[in-house]
Amino acid sequence: MPVQLTMPRLSDTMEAGTIVRWNVKEGDPVSSGDVVADVETDKATMEMPVFDDGVVARILVDPGTQVKVGTPIAVIATDGEDVAAAAASGATPSAAARAAAPAPAPAATPTAAVPASPAPAATAPSPVTPVKVELLDATARRGDAPAIAGAPQPAGPRMRMSPVARRMADEFGVPVDSISGSGPAGRIVKRDIEEAIQRMKSGQLAPVVRAAPAGAPSTALSMPVSTVPVVPIGAQAREVAVSGMRQTIARRLVESKLSIPHYQVTMRVSMDALLELRSMLNRQLETQGVKLSVNDFIVRACAIGMQAHPFMNASWGGDRIVLHSDVNVGVAVSLPAERGGGLLVATIRHADQKGLRQISIETRALAEKARTKGLSAEDMGGSTFTVSNLGMYGVEHFTAIINPPNSAILACGAAVEQPVVRNHQLAVGHEMSATLSLDHRVIDGAMAAEYLQTVRQNLENPATLMV
Amino acid sequence: MSTMMSTSPESPAGGLREIEFRDAIREAMSQEMRRDPRVFLLGEEVAQYNGAYKVSRGMLDEFGPRRIIDTPISESGFAGMAIGAAMMGLRPIVEFMSWSFSLVAADPILNNAPKMLYMSGGQFGCPIVFRGNNGAGGQLGSTHSWCVEGLYSNVPGVKIVIPATPEDAKGLMTTAIRDDDPVFFLESERMLGMKGHVPEGDHLVPFGQARLARSGDDITLVSFGRPVHFCLEAADALAKEGISCEVLDMRTIRPLDVGSIVRSVRRTSACVVVDQSWSFASPGSEVASIVHRECFDDLDNYVHRVHSVDVPTPYATNLEQEYLPNARRICEAVRACLYRA
Repeated sequence: MPVQLTMPRLSDTMEAGTIVRWNVKEGDPVSSGDVVADVETDKATMEMPVFDDGVVARILVDPGTQVKVGTPIAVIATDGEDVAAAAASGATPSAAARAAAPAPAPAATPTAAVPASPAPAATAPSPVTPVKVELLDATARRGDAPAIAGAPQPAGPRMRMSPVARRMADEFGVPVDSISGSGPAGRIVKRDIEEAIQRMKSGQLAPVVRAAPAGAPSTALSMPVSTVPVVPIGAQAREVAVSGMRQTIARRLVESKLSIPHYQVTMRVSMDALLELRSMLNRQLETQGVKLSVNDFIVRACAIGMQAHPFMNASWGGDRIVLHSDVNVGVAVSLPAERGGGLLVATIRHADQKGLRQISIETRALAEKARTKGLSAEDMGGSTFTVSNLGMYGVEHFTAIINPPNSAILACGAAVEQPVVRNHQLAVGHEMSATLSLDHRVIDGAMAAEYLQTVRQNLENPATLMV
Repeated sequence: MSTMMSTSPESPAGGLREIEFRDAIREAMSQEMRRDPRVFLLGEEVAQYNGAYKVSRGMLDEFGPRRIIDTPISESGFAGMAIGAAMMGLRPIVEFMSWSFSLVAADPILNNAPKMLYMSGGQFGCPIVFRGNNGAGGQLGSTHSWCVEGLYSNVPGVKIVIPATPEDAKGLMTTAIRDDDPVFFLESERMLGMKGHVPEGDHLVPFGQARLARSGDDITLVSFGRPVHFCLEAADALAKEGISCEVLDMRTIRPLDVGSIVRSVRRTSACVVVDQSWSFASPGSEVASIVHRECFDDLDNYVHRVHSVDVPTPYATNLEQEYLPNARRICEAVRACLYRA
């Protein structure tokens, strides 16, 4: 059976390789160990040996041509085989590249699709055997390309991985496709993951970037590590250990910023009526221990606004957009320094069905719980939209990073007393800046603007929030 | 054998009183007999001969023939009689010269004692201790080398104690005598001469609480009784290869300290169970099943098990050594489990 040489994966990050030079030509005899070609990867130029004895039946890729890993590049007729028949069995590189699989996919004649047919060898090629080519690294250190033996097969069998290796790979974002397993039958085991984590920490291996599952807090450390070395500046510089929460914040926000096409839309909202209503309600409800915050009104306004704007309450699903039927508004809660600082998002479930009083009570309870004993996954999971408010700090305007898998987040500043124009007259009023950050894959600018108008109307006519 | 003299790193250093395993058992029995007049000892040659293995040496002199009772060679008879005494309020200790001989008393010890409380609707308890040598004693042949824990731990209602050190022998025996349920106390002829520190006075070790015989990071060895010392010997050898073994001495297999096993395996990701029973339906298979269930996402390999070989115990010394879960076989299992084979 002819042997098909394919472009080997010579480094973890190698997607494609370029044949720099063929050291053999069609018809040349080769024996195991002969260097048949020089291959340029993303890192270095390396020698590619062959592991069979035979004759070069066909060269499929010209020097200077870049092809994807796994693409057939030459066919070797092994001893005793008909060179012409072997040559005919080789797939063209373009066809193979389209097929994207190194499997025998001879794009030759229709008869090839009928393997049972006893056709002549020249027209019915026998299937070729893809061989793995081991690296003989002429320029780099040998240890630089550990992924040859276990190079992934695009449509190969189920990946073998021990349970703890699977869990660690998930936690740390290890790109398991790019590492090889040292266990039996190529099973990826704990030590392979530990090595990969070390290489990720030193920047030799890029972590998997993926959207975090909804509400699943993770202790992952899968952020890309900057290639710029971090050196302490100043004699009094000190280091602070990164907590699990800080790692999660870092990972999720990096993922959000890297994977979501963010844009922002800002409106100013007149808050006078709302502030007046709030003072009145709080005076009346004081004896009942209820104290409504501006944020409670904003949560309510955002939640009831969803009914007419279902795409604001949605998630990008890759090949589909999921329009959620529950409206669960996440409220960003900052933690005090004595609890290690950080940020959590507490979820107010069915916020569109809850009154101001209920939203207020739940938000206070969750914030208190977050600051004392911490929130459960249940408390933090399942949000469909998030509100972040820095008004209490006097911030006038800011933008927020979307909290995946949400598609939008509202950033509210303070209601600042300032000159405003009303009915062509200069007046003094309380104005609040409200800025939506949006996932453009789900929500276009006009959709965002319409939703923000609805929210503004709700806030400027706060009686609508009462019913 | 050098392995039997291995002591745990937790054992106090010299200067403290050291006594033999057999003396530790006797000390517990004698102290409890002084404390509680309901406690008495019966069995073959326990009195006049001072015990076939001298565990009860001197007890006849101190407690007299009404409490240290020589019995006929009739395990079924004296075990059944003792169970009756326990039901009526006494606290017997039954010595089987070897647990191999308990097989002829299977009906009373398995069918009566463990079920009495249940079948009498709580009217009759059975506070009794059965004790004796268990496992290969050294060229005793197939019929006298029984490890009964595989068979007996299958029965609900029994407590099974398998101490590995003199200190635990005393502490666990004291707890066994004070326990209100039937306790099967499994000793090893090969360990009766082992010396170690044993506290004087009252010393109780609770059931269901494993002992950390050696701490380590790479793999958890779960064992009990004599094989704990095989594990420690293996751990010494493996340390030279850079493999750090944690050794857990379970002390009791019913109740079993699942929590300690799980905590350790979650940290090491690897587990080898070393059990001198035969492998089929054994304490080792039960531990493996539990670890697979409780630590599934923590495991880097399936739980490996080292048992006595699945044949009748050979008589020849060299074959008996190879038959047992010895240190060499443990080392092989550890390397295989860590993918270093």
